[in-house]
Amino acid sequence: MSLRNTIDRIVRWLLVVLMGGIVVDVTIQVVSRYLFQSPLSFTDELAGFLLIWVGLLGSAYAMGEKQHLAIDLISHNLSPQNRRRLDVVINAIVVLFALGVLGVGGFWLVYTSFLFGQVSAALELSLGFVYLVVPVSGLLIAYYAIDNTLTELRTATS
Amino acid sequence: MEITEVLILVISFVIFIAIGVPIAFCIGLAGIITMLLSIDYLPAVTTFAQRMATGLNSFTLLAIPLFILAGQLMNTGGIANRLIEFAKVLVGRLPGGLAVVNVLANMLFGAISGSAGAAASAIGTIMHPRMKEEGYDENFSAAVNITSATTGLVIPPSNILIIYSLASGGVSIAALFLAGYLPGVLTGLALIGFATAYAYRHNYPTGEPVPLGVGIRKFLAALPSLLLLVIILGGIVAGIFTATEASGVAVIYCLVLAFIYREIKVSDLPGILIRTTLTTCIVLLMVAASIGLSWVMAYEEIPQNVSAALLTLSDSPILILLIINVILLFVGVFMDMTPAVLIFTPIFLPVVTQQLGIDPVHFGIILIVNLCVGLCTPPVGTVLFIGCSVANIKIQSVVRPLLPFFVAMIAVLLLVTYIPEISLWLPRQFGF
Repeated sequence: MSLRNTIDRIVRWLLVVLMGGIVVDVTIQVVSRYLFQSPLSFTDELAGFLLIWVGLLGSAYAMGEKQHLAIDLISHNLSPQNRRRLDVVINAIVVLFALGVLGVGGFWLVYTSFLFGQVSAALELSLGFVYLVVPVSGLLIAYYAIDNTLTELRTATS
Repeated sequence: MEITEVLILVISFVIFIAIGVPIAFCIGLAGIITMLLSIDYLPAVTTFAQRMATGLNSFTLLAIPLFILAGQLMNTGGIANRLIEFAKVLVGRLPGGLAVVNVLANMLFGAISGSAGAAASAIGTIMHPRMKEEGYDENFSAAVNITSATTGLVIPPSNILIIYSLASGGVSIAALFLAGYLPGVLTGLALIGFATAYAYRHNYPTGEPVPLGVGIRKFLAALPSLLLLVIILGGIVAGIFTATEASGVAVIYCLVLAFIYREIKVSDLPGILIRTTLTTCIVLLMVAASIGLSWVMAYEEIPQNVSAALLTLSDSPILILLIINVILLFVGVFMDMTPAVLIFTPIFLPVVTQQLGIDPVHFGIILIVNLCVGLCTPPVGTVLFIGCSVANIKIQSVVRPLLPFFVAMIAVLLLVTYIPEISLWLPRQFGF
C-alpha cells in the first residue's frame, strides 16, 4: 500500500472515531441533563476539544480530497498547461499557510502550552495535547497539497 | 496609517480569491499578511493559530456537524418522496400544481435537511422528470427548483443562522430561528405566486383531486419527518434544550427513523460520518480562519473604519441599508454564503446596530435572505450548479427563466429590509 493510502486510511478512521465521539458525547450530555437531572461537567469541554480535532484534521482530509471551496474565475479559460502551472501556484500558497502559520504557529503553541503546564478546567487535560492537532494538520495539509500536485503533474506528463 | 492595512487586507484577499486559492486559505493568508505589518512573525502566527483552534472550541458550533449529520441521515430518496406526496395533497390542485409542489417540498425538505444543495438535488431529481412529463418547460422547472431550494436556509433549523449567531458574537439562536419563519415563508409564497402566474399563462395542467383517505395516509407517511421540525423548534423555543442539544436529538431521531424505514445499515455509518466530516470541515476551516481574521480586524480597527466610511456617504438608515444590500448582492454573486456571512457580519454589524439602531436579529435575516440570491447566480452559485446538473440542462439556458424569480426574491429582500416586523414579530411573541 502506498504512503498516501496509509495516511488516508488512518485519518479517515480517526475522523470516524472523533465524529462518532461527538455524537455520543452530546447524547450523554442531553441524557444526563434531562433524565438524571445531573449535568456532567466534562461533556461540554470534551465536545469542544473533539470539535477542534475534527475541524482541523477534517480540513486536512478535505484538502486531500480537493473539497475546499474555491472560486474558479480564471482557470477554466486557461490552456491545460497554464492551468497546471496555476495549480502549482495555488498549492504552493496553501503550503505556505499550512507550514508558515499552522505548522510553525501551531508548534510554538504546543511547546508553550506544555512549557507553562496549562491544563483544562474539567478534564485536567494538558492543553498541549489539544493544540497538537494544529501543527499535525498543518503538516498534513502541506503533504496533501504537494502530493496532489505531484500526482497531477505525473499524470499530465505520462 | 490604518488605510494601508485595510488596502493590504482587501487587495491580498482579492488576489488570492481571483487566482483560485481555496477561500479558507485566502481568509487566513490575507489576515496574517496584514498582521505582519504590525507585529513580529512568531507572535503573529502563534496567536493566529491559537485563535483558529480556540475558535472551534465552541458548544454552539457543535450544532453544525450534528445538523449536517442529521441531514445526511435524512438525505435518502424516501423522505424527499414522502414530502413531495404530502405537498401534492396540499397544493397540487393550484394552477401549475407541480411547480407549486416543487416549491413547497423544497421549503419542507430544506428546513429539515438544512441544506439548500441537498434540497435542490433531492427534490429536483424526483420533480424534474415528472414536470417534464406533464409538459412543463424544463428550464422553467429547473429555475423553480433552484430558487425555492434556498428558502430552507431561512426557515429553521438553519446552520447558516447558527454561523451568523457565532459571527455576530452571540445573537440568540432561538430568536434567529423564530425570525426566519416569516421571511422564509414569504419568499416561498412569492416564488409560488410567480410560478402559478407563469403556469396559468402557459396552460400547464393542474393535479387531480385527492380523496380524503389518501390525503390522510400521505400526511401520516410524511409525519415522522415533519415531527422532527416540531421537536427541534419546539424544544429550542420553549427553552427545553439549546440548539446544540437539539441537533444531538435530531441525530438520534433521524438515526432511529432511518433504521425503522430500513434506509441505512450499520455498515453505512462510517461512510456517512466521513461525508458529514468533509461537509462540516469545509465550513469549519472557514470559521476558524475567519476567527483568526476577526482578531486581525479588531486589532487594526477595520470595522470602525468601514463604519466611518459608510457614514460619510449618508446618514439615512434607508440609504445605508440599501448600499449594504447592493454590496452584499454583489458579494453573493462571487462568494458562497458561509464565507460571506463570516467576513461581512463583523464589518457591517457594528454600523447597523450602533449607528442605525437596527436589531442584530433583523440584520441577520436581511443578510441571509440577500445572500440566497447569490446562490442562484453564475459564476459562483452552488444551488444553481446542483439544480442544473440534476435537471441535466446548461447554466446559460436557465438564466432567463430565473430572472422573474430573482425579481420575487429581491422584492422579498426589500420588504424584509424595510419592515423589521416581518422578522421581529414572531420572536417578540415568544419574549425575545
